Amino acid sequence: MRWGMVIEQKRCIGCNACTLACKAEHFLPPEILWNRVLISETGKYPTVNKLIYSIRCNQCDEPKCVDACPTGATRKREQDNIVIIDDNECVGCRYCMIACPYQARSFYEDGDAEYFPGQGQTEHEKMGKVLYPHQVGVVQKCIFCKERIDDGLAKGLKPGVDRDATPACVIACPTMAMHFGDLEDPYSDINRLIKEKKGKPFHPEYGTEPSIYYIE
Amino acid sequence: MIQLRPYEFMVKYTPQREWIEGHGILIAFALFFGGISGGLYLSSLFFNSLIGMFVAWLLAMATGASDMAHLSKPLRFWRMLLKPRTSWISRGFIFIWLFLGCAAIQLALSYWAPGSGAETVFKVLAGILAFFVAVYSGFVISFVVGIKLWNSAIVPILFVVAGLAGGLSILLVASLGSAAQGIAVANATLAALVVYAVFIAVYLWVSTYEDEAARDSVIRILKGDIAVVFWVGVVAAGILAPIALLAPFSLTQQASAGAFIAGAALAIIGGVTLRYVILKAGVYNPLVPTE
Repeated sequence: MRWGMVIEQKRCIGCNACTLACKAEHFLPPEILWNRVLISETGKYPTVNKLIYSIRCNQCDEPKCVDACPTGATRKREQDNIVIIDDNECVGCRYCMIACPYQARSFYEDGDAEYFPGQGQTEHEKMGKVLYPHQVGVVQKCIFCKERIDDGLAKGLKPGVDRDATPACVIACPTMAMHFGDLEDPYSDINRLIKEKKGKPFHPEYGTEPSIYYIE
Repeated sequence: MIQLRPYEFMVKYTPQREWIEGHGILIAFALFFGGISGGLYLSSLFFNSLIGMFVAWLLAMATGASDMAHLSKPLRFWRMLLKPRTSWISRGFIFIWLFLGCAAIQLALSYWAPGSGAETVFKVLAGILAFFVAVYSGFVISFVVGIKLWNSAIVPILFVVAGLAGGLSILLVASLGSAAQGIAVANATLAALVVYAVFIAVYLWVSTYEDEAARDSVIRILKGDIAVVFWVGVVAAGILAPIALLAPFSLTQQASAGAFIAGAALAIIGGVTLRYVILKAGVYNPLVPTE
């Protein structure tokens, strides 16, 4: 099994719902983004083209971060290829951040940071410290909402089909530009989309074999 | 200094910050100490300088210390020994520890039991490890595919040559007691500095053919925001000044303590600055098309 994602760029409106859903789902501290929306423009007036890319960790099949990590804290899960970081094994050398050509990783440095500096932590931030504690001084990144996938599978749900077993960014997308599924299942929706709409992996030139495909 | 707005992250050329800003500057020192300790030990072996070998051992300690000081969880440092199969940091850390062990035994044998077979064995072992200590720092950064300036096969060689040039400069000071050896080391230092200068030129020239980001980095180094540091620190202080200081003594075959110490100090400054410049100039290619 290898979880993957397909993103239809023509459907993406750059609303950042995925970014915020990710923030809320994982109680991400200020300055930490596991999901970003990159917007660029090509061409010159009047033939300008706006490009929107919703990006996150590509859960690569040949991840540079895993090779770079000196402790083994960053590794691929055997059962589904999701690249995870063990907070208790990370030494904070940040070589994985340097090695990732997609710059999809963040370093959690300031444990006291507040979303509204000087006004104390919000109830959401306080709740997050209890429900989803982040260890200070280690690297973080998107984990494809593995908790949702694991819980969903345990309940007999199908990730990518059932809402409760699908990553938060995918279900938050208001235009349904994002699709989730098993890349190793030849009959999965995402494989059909990749084949029919000619999905391309993100920057294959780096040789990382990303699990996220984009459809222009 | 490239100033990016938040929404320009990875949309424009994005400089790496983790290994140059704040605590990240320690990585420049770790790369420098790694190169110079290996270079000094190898040149000390060649010129049979026990003091030089001891200083190389101390510098290898400084390499490990700089690496560990950069960690946010230093008490977990032992975990860095666990992944030599793929990680250059792990390999380097193992090389440093093994070198420290072998060189310590060799130093003890050279002091208390010189000429023994065991001393020769440990000299060979420590020499091989010293080479790995010098070269690993280059591989650490040449592994990074996202930064084309770093992702070059020349970087490990450049770091070894820079380590040899710096190491020989330190050995100059250690050789002050013997005029004949001092002149020989000065000649070797001059040759190493010339080769070092050629390698820097070749590295920058080849990088301009890598891609747009690498070309942009080279322009920053030669005439952009890092140019002053490069021309003053790396070229003037690290290469030209030591050559100017040492060349007259090489020609007249007379040693001078003041010139040797000044040359060594300037070469060391140049060595640190080279690592700083290379780390500072590293930028990631944009992830999205912008033209």
